[in-house]
Amino acid sequence: MSATRLNTGGRIDRSRPLRFTWDGRSYKGFAGDTLASALMANGERVLGRSFKYHRPRGIMSAGVEESGAIVTLGTGDRTEPNSKATMVELFDGLLASGQNAWPNVRNDVGAGLGLFGRFFSAGFYYKTFMGLPPFEWGRGTGIWMQYEKIIRKAAGMGEASRQADPDCYDHVHAFCDVLVVGSGPAGMSAALHAAQQGKDVILVEQDFDLGGDLLNRSDPKSNAIRAELIAALTAAGVRIMTRTTAFGLYDYGTAGLLERVTDHLAVKPDHAPRQRFWTVRAAATILATGALERTVAFENNDRPGVMTANATRSYLNRYGVLPGQNIVLNTNNDSAYDTAGELAQAGAKVTLVDLREAIDADLSEQMNAAGVTVQTGLAPLKALGGKAVTGVQLARLQGDTWVAVETLPCDLLLVSAGWSPVVNLLSHRGAKPIWDQDLSCFLPALCAENVTMAGAAAGHWSTEHCTASGIAAANLAMGQKVGAITPGGWNTPIKPLYEVRLPGKKTKSFVDPQHDVTASDIRLAHQEGFVSVEHLKRYTTLGMATDQGKMGNIIGLALMAEALGKDIPAVGTTRFRPPYTPVAIGALAGRNTGSHFKTLRRTPLHDWNLRQGATMTDAGLWHRPWYFARKGESITEAYIREATTVRDTLGICDVSSLGKIAVQGPDASEFLNRIYSNAFAKLAVGKARYGIMLRDDGMVMDDGTTWRLSENDFLLTTTTTAAGKVMVWLEELLQLRWPELRVHVSSVSDQWAGVSVAGPQTRKAIAACLEDPEAISAENLPFMGVMESRLKGGIRCLIARISFSGELAYEIYVPADLGEAMMDQLWAASEPLGGCLYGLEALGTLRIEKGHVTGAELDGRVTIDDAGLGKMASTKKPFIGSALRQRPELEREDRPQLVGIFPKDRSDSFNGGALLCKPDEISGFGEGWITAVTHSPALGHWIGLGYISGGHDAWQGKSVAATDPVRKGDVMVEIVSPHMFDPKGERMHG
Amino acid sequence: MAKAISPLQPIRRAGQFGAPGKPGVTIKEVTGFGLLQFSAWGASLAQTGAEAARLAGCSLAPAPGHVVSGSNGVLMRVEPLKWWLLTSAAAPRPEPELAAENGAVLDMQDARCWLRITGDKAETLLNHFLPLNLRPSVFADGAVATTAFHHVGVTLWRDADGLNLLFPRSSALSLWQLLSESAHQYGLVEE
Repeated sequence: MSATRLNTGGRIDRSRPLRFTWDGRSYKGFAGDTLASALMANGERVLGRSFKYHRPRGIMSAGVEESGAIVTLGTGDRTEPNSKATMVELFDGLLASGQNAWPNVRNDVGAGLGLFGRFFSAGFYYKTFMGLPPFEWGRGTGIWMQYEKIIRKAAGMGEASRQADPDCYDHVHAFCDVLVVGSGPAGMSAALHAAQQGKDVILVEQDFDLGGDLLNRSDPKSNAIRAELIAALTAAGVRIMTRTTAFGLYDYGTAGLLERVTDHLAVKPDHAPRQRFWTVRAAATILATGALERTVAFENNDRPGVMTANATRSYLNRYGVLPGQNIVLNTNNDSAYDTAGELAQAGAKVTLVDLREAIDADLSEQMNAAGVTVQTGLAPLKALGGKAVTGVQLARLQGDTWVAVETLPCDLLLVSAGWSPVVNLLSHRGAKPIWDQDLSCFLPALCAENVTMAGAAAGHWSTEHCTASGIAAANLAMGQKVGAITPGGWNTPIKPLYEVRLPGKKTKSFVDPQHDVTASDIRLAHQEGFVSVEHLKRYTTLGMATDQGKMGNIIGLALMAEALGKDIPAVGTTRFRPPYTPVAIGALAGRNTGSHFKTLRRTPLHDWNLRQGATMTDAGLWHRPWYFARKGESITEAYIREATTVRDTLGICDVSSLGKIAVQGPDASEFLNRIYSNAFAKLAVGKARYGIMLRDDGMVMDDGTTWRLSENDFLLTTTTTAAGKVMVWLEELLQLRWPELRVHVSSVSDQWAGVSVAGPQTRKAIAACLEDPEAISAENLPFMGVMESRLKGGIRCLIARISFSGELAYEIYVPADLGEAMMDQLWAASEPLGGCLYGLEALGTLRIEKGHVTGAELDGRVTIDDAGLGKMASTKKPFIGSALRQRPELEREDRPQLVGIFPKDRSDSFNGGALLCKPDEISGFGEGWITAVTHSPALGHWIGLGYISGGHDAWQGKSVAATDPVRKGDVMVEIVSPHMFDPKGERMHG
Repeated sequence: MAKAISPLQPIRRAGQFGAPGKPGVTIKEVTGFGLLQFSAWGASLAQTGAEAARLAGCSLAPAPGHVVSGSNGVLMRVEPLKWWLLTSAAAPRPEPELAAENGAVLDMQDARCWLRITGDKAETLLNHFLPLNLRPSVFADGAVATTAFHHVGVTLWRDADGLNLLFPRSSALSLWQLLSESAHQYGLVEE
């Protein structure tokens, strides 16, 4: 292939030269080029190496079906492997390199594998290496994994960067009446017609320019049609999206689009995303996705310089490149004649070889006038040459047998074996295409949804037919009746051609060049008993490369049909799945990466806590203070100090993240009485009560306190992580189970900033902040009392005397925006008393000492009895879970029950998650497990909570091993009551 | 008087950010507003709606999916049985008079953060996150929707000045970062 850039012609902008680098060498192209056209214009022939055999490959097409010029773009963290050079828009500074080759694609050491190519048929690796040594010897799998590393190094495609993707991507939603995919004459006509009928239309084009096949024409009429349509589309208000691929069609008119925003720019704007992933919901969809030209399986049909015929029209008329000087064009249909004529007019010597014996007189005359030599009744048998094609041996069909005839020298061998409508997107919707014998292609079936095919995608080969079918598709999409337009458009019928080979001769004739699947592989699959097309696909990997069978599927089907002695429709076809072309993982992720992977919830005191030196930790979606280390303190030293301070004086802990639900209405108390296991019907105004909520199946769902603020207003609190689950559950109960209750639940978790102030000095500190210091006297606010009051400065607050730490404690809530103002006051009053701020680690210590449960203990497998709270299950009323909690399985006495845990040797420690076993039976799941551990400053040694069969009573005085084989081994422990500190609760009532 | 601090106050700064040239999006945080929720029982929808409308200063409470502006504030129907009344910082504090037999009133003033989003690219920007058809012909002046923004429930409505969003307070900063970072590509003005 000796390609040359023409001095005139094409749509490139010769006034805008661009520099780019291919395999380390600098080249020149022009704005409007693709990487493929620019490399072709610079005389580069070998642009890739094949997957398995490392055969040299050149440009085979001009579109998404490209299977030869597959390259790696960029370097470092912006490396993008497996890019089709035919689809890469050239820009100044573009870096591209070959892949799957060493040292480069022109001279690849791996090409030596081709010498053994006859052994590398489908299934070779598995059949050979998985059996060495024989599996029965017992080491097969391990050795296979070593083989696999070598095989993967020797074969494959490009290599992705292992660095993080530096670019950002966006997700966007869009809506329209009509989505049109493809901007050829059919697509543009459809979009324009729909828009002119008042429809909101989005037109999507994967190319960087509108026009589809019109871009490949040079005649004035085609250019005029294109220009007029584009102007009319703009005037009609059609939303036009170029550089955007519709990669998938989904339920209810939903389409997935990928917009390449900056891939083509030499200087990427700082703030623009690299790509946008669009989710478009359309009332109607028109697919004018065109058709792909097919090739033929013949020996060496992958040599650089073998190309689809229409691709050269694109290089010639769009990019101003004449791809060869001495061209042989093989065809079996009319579509290649225009191409042959244009190549000849551009200065090439062209020989057109038509399989058909008789061709249309007009076409013959046209070829004569253009100086094209025409030979009929012949087909390509073998491409000659190594890294570039030098000729073609032709064959003639005698009966059912091909016979080699003459050889023609050439530097470019073109093939046009028919066209395959791009039915991929329709296939995503489950519509099976229908084989058309006359056109030798699959045509789209009718779709039950409002999805219509138009243009070449529906089998219309002429511009006039495409335009008419586009308008008809628009009418159909808008619910109007239309007359049928017959597909086709050639004067002489196509003569089907899928493979040319001499009888009995084994050759490398490729069906799916990307995966090095040959015609012999297809026949081998048949010989080995694979009759289903789906099995054929998986055995040979036909159609499983990055082009997803665009190049070879039909040939593969035809060869399988021949082997089976069936027709193509009887063999069937595989179903196309999204994406139509590859989508970067980054585009799927969008901005949902790093800190945006999930929404971070911050309490109103977040910044205040950070200013006080808090180290934060995750609690569900929230960030909560973990500990407040002083200079030089470790986390252990910090939490022990904090817990000790709470017991000695006081501490303040941010509890704003607790779930808070307003329960309002005349039936609110009845509602609460039904959802909690204990009684709530008679909870007095100004009182709080601890409650346990079960699931229907009798297991504990969540716990918390509920405050009665007025006759009809309650504030229900939940654990931090269960807030959403509880809210959904309550809504479900009200809407589905008890719609008669006049109750509304509303999340007010975000409304309030809350703190727990705990310790013997608490009352003194809070009183100093209140406008009425006497408000929280023991008389005015007894244990479990609730009141509304005001902090100084007129800050309205709710105060509840409740305790999680086991100390005299209050929870104070103020409107969220005033949270920092509250903290300023409380801290100013507490610090002089020797108080501290404390975080989750110390909070955990305090509650473990008390045996209070949290999510670690209430893990969904626990009954209210297991948790030692069985007395809170009322026997006088029904409540959610009250029936199923009495199942025999849940009442077994040997169920794991909540216990406290001490190390036998008090200087020892143990781990959360360790299993509790009998010392002489350390195996399996043991007798229980440890849920939480801490060093207890109050007791002076490590303690823990956990569950063990039969509970404290069953294990009193017995030795138990806490076994943690992964981390620490076995530690001997003793089982104690879970109430390890102040079991009578004297401190919190004080 | 204690100082109220909105969740975005620590990070917001006035100016233009991102792409230069004419800004595509302007975002303003509305602070100091009041937010009352009116919840009706099924049979008392009319009474609760009337009380909400009275306090908003409008003749009728809006139907589901709609917003009306009254002399005292903006009233929106956020659920079939619920209205939200938004009042400006300057407006007098509403004094609801709703019997428990008719409905419930809940102060949610500090639970939400209010952003006003305007500009040629406001709809496109919001469609980065919201799966709603925001074209004016569909989501017109006076429309309200409860929807999801990065998996967080938010309230969106359109008035004569543009689009408005209510974020839950705890998620506001996180969602603001997403929104503003995405807005930079269109040129963002923060007021």
